[in-house]
Amino acid sequence: MTMKVVGQRVKRYDGMAHVTGETRFVDDVIVPGTLTIKAFRSPVAKGNIKDLDTSAAEAMPGVAGVITAEDVPCNAYGLVPDQPVLVEKAVRYKGEPIAAVAAVDEDTAVEAINKIKLDIEEEKPVFDPLEAMKPDAPKVRPEGNVFMFGERPFRQIILGDVEEGFKKADIIVENEYLHPSLEHAQLEPQASLAVPDAGGKLTIYTVSQALYFHLGQLLGILQMEPDKVQCKQWAPRTGSSWRHNAGFSDINYVGGTVGGGFGAKNDIHADHVTALLALKTGQPCKWRWTREEDLLYSTFRGAWRMTIKDGITKDGRIVARQIKSIRDAGAYSTLNFYVVDKHSFLAAGPYFIENVYVQGYCVYTNKPPASSMRGFGITPATFATEVQIDKIATQLGMDPWEIRFVNAFRKGEHTATRRVVNSVALVEVMQKLAEKAGVDLPDKLMTMTSTERG
Amino acid sequence: MAERQFFKATDPQEACDLLAQYGGKARLLAGGTDLMVAVNQRQLSPEVLVYLGDSGLNYINSESDNLVIGAATPFTDIMGSNLVREEAPLLAEVISHIASPAIRNVGTIGGNLANGSPAADSATALLALGASLKLVSKAGDRVVAVEEFFTGPGETTLEPTELIQEVIIPKKAGEAKWAYRKLGKRKAQTLSIVSVAICCPLDGGQCQGTRIALGAVAPTPILASEASALLEGKILSEGLIDESAKAAADASNPIDDVRGSAWYRRRAIEALVRQLLAQISA
Amino acid sequence: MYSLEFTVNGQLCQVAVDLKTTLLEVLRDKLFITSPKVGCNTGDCGTCSVLMNGKLVRSCITNALSAQGKEVTTIEGLAEAGELHPLQEAFHDNYGAQCGFCTPGMILASKALLDENPKPTREEAKEALSGNLCRCTGYGKIIDSVMAAAEQMAQAKS
Repeated sequence: MTMKVVGQRVKRYDGMAHVTGETRFVDDVIVPGTLTIKAFRSPVAKGNIKDLDTSAAEAMPGVAGVITAEDVPCNAYGLVPDQPVLVEKAVRYKGEPIAAVAAVDEDTAVEAINKIKLDIEEEKPVFDPLEAMKPDAPKVRPEGNVFMFGERPFRQIILGDVEEGFKKADIIVENEYLHPSLEHAQLEPQASLAVPDAGGKLTIYTVSQALYFHLGQLLGILQMEPDKVQCKQWAPRTGSSWRHNAGFSDINYVGGTVGGGFGAKNDIHADHVTALLALKTGQPCKWRWTREEDLLYSTFRGAWRMTIKDGITKDGRIVARQIKSIRDAGAYSTLNFYVVDKHSFLAAGPYFIENVYVQGYCVYTNKPPASSMRGFGITPATFATEVQIDKIATQLGMDPWEIRFVNAFRKGEHTATRRVVNSVALVEVMQKLAEKAGVDLPDKLMTMTSTERG
Repeated sequence: MAERQFFKATDPQEACDLLAQYGGKARLLAGGTDLMVAVNQRQLSPEVLVYLGDSGLNYINSESDNLVIGAATPFTDIMGSNLVREEAPLLAEVISHIASPAIRNVGTIGGNLANGSPAADSATALLALGASLKLVSKAGDRVVAVEEFFTGPGETTLEPTELIQEVIIPKKAGEAKWAYRKLGKRKAQTLSIVSVAICCPLDGGQCQGTRIALGAVAPTPILASEASALLEGKILSEGLIDESAKAAADASNPIDDVRGSAWYRRRAIEALVRQLLAQISA
Repeated sequence: MYSLEFTVNGQLCQVAVDLKTTLLEVLRDKLFITSPKVGCNTGDCGTCSVLMNGKLVRSCITNALSAQGKEVTTIEGLAEAGELHPLQEAFHDNYGAQCGFCTPGMILASKALLDENPKPTREEAKEALSGNLCRCTGYGKIIDSVMAAAEQMAQAKS
């Protein structure tokens, strides 16, 4: 039987629309009478709002609507619903949205934003996660600056006994690795268009990479019925904005065409605000972030500080690996805790190590919230562990290739979380890689296989 | 608010008349690659625009000892001009490192200079080449050397009623050797962190009137005069190059900004001058 | 307000603009031609690229009034008599388009190159596209697409 797709080169299903310019991204959807949205953002990184006066903006000709925290039925969202759509009192990062304006055009919207008066009591912010972890640090969040993974202030992974492992080791290699924050810089900025339909329903054109997550959260934010009070109280893990009375049919959520995401669009950035303003004004509302806003205030890959301590025997086997990682989460949980989870589960690398101890911390600071980016927390871990392997090789006087071959997963072995790996080919991949790179590896490495540990 | 007005100048004189009439309210528009960024970012909202695209300021001429370039000549035209490649190859090379093709297609040499940026790449080339500018206004014209044109970040000697008519570059016949290097965050579409342009006329192997121009390391693009003077009448040697490179670093007065630190810039200047002089002496 | 008259993809257009209006705003907001994108609005990313009198320009920092009397081409104007331009075919065949947001600008920048230099080297293609950013492809497949189109056009000629 000849396969139509398997083993064949298949053209992109949307490729033809891309090369003819027909692909319609969110900002390309044009609905007559659409209002332009601009946000009023906090000028300080930490503070307490004393007074917010939007009356001058509201009175301006051409302004159709202004919203503040008061207009948000359930002002807490996220997987752990801790992030307000618009700040009510406590500002946690510079640029955090406090109000939003919908006006006939961009010039009017910007002018209206400039007329909003804010009286804010500035407080001392904390930017460094290490500082934020100290007991007397300024509180980013009332419940504390360190995310609680259940009862522990860190995600803990234990396999075997690292202390016993270190005793068996011939050398110990310990290093600290820093990974800076990174911006996705996807070419399509955050954008959203909400169009009110008859009967209070909405059509929202979204850049979301996580349609159903976001649809659920939006229904929570917009809920018009009970639980209003309860939902404003933040409770760990038991999401309130997940509970909603509106049905999925109340929002026609149109997505799937994303002009680059890379994780930048796994959190709601604009859909909640366009939805609220569309409901308030009864008119279509569009919010396209400027590139500057996107770079400064959208989510990004948070910074990491990782300490790795390895115990290695003379033959290059890693017999114990201890990792302490600290993730700079910014002001809200977003997907940060999931990022730390994935990091902790896989930080030991694609190597079979019998004794592993990982502590993954997720620490709040007064910066814009970090969140997902390609590979979640695994990519920074890979950077750190692979540099660590090169350092081990130098210290042992061994070829770094050999360290990787000697420790690579073999079929039937397991990860630090005791997940048995059955489909493994790291040894073979490295052999192929060496071949392609023109690296002449010794026979003892080229004859190894993933099926058995030699 | 007064009615906003747009004028298309058909010759430099008309542009001068409009500048005289509207004074500081009027802004000149050529390629718009700086002006329109400021407009989009709401830093600028001009009341009067005078468009120079069809004002007859797009030309490259050879006039006896000089190469003369109209201020509204786009970079792409200058880069592709055989005349420029023969008489001032340094300028063509420098321009090839400015922004990217789309920007060079409309961005003009006069606009780059009038913008007054300390990092203006064409300025380092013109400083090294010993060029001067012909400025015109309704009252008449004057010629200023490029090193006297810039007065501070974003500031020049241009009066509000004046415009740059043309750039005058002395032809460097014979043995003038030159070298250029720009450091940016990436190769294209980037502002200089540091740039160095050197023009070194050689007479029997001896340096005669070397000009070393530095970009993005002082409030304006500058000439490292002492670094050049050290070389006068001498044959380039390793020791001499070293001395000159150090003098060039001393001549700089860089700042810390998002693109680079003063510490880095000072060291980069020294390294680049050393590298480029070595290239010239080879 | 001023009246701007210019040609877009062969059609004469007349729109009202003011001093601050950009060519990109005219195309997207007044003529509803949405293939040029708003990526940065500062001339840095290249998603708004169009051809003006055959030359590649950034429509986001092109003052609309400077397009007076000129001919503007967007990607909608590339196909002739229902036939795609070889660059469009090549980008589709060689996976030069991924999310598609940079694609119209990327193809127009490539066209500007091939119009002037029908047989570019890979280096020349990179230089020609140096002002157009892409975050998906890593550029390799984009350059492959340009080279494939050049090849195809050369064959069609001979």
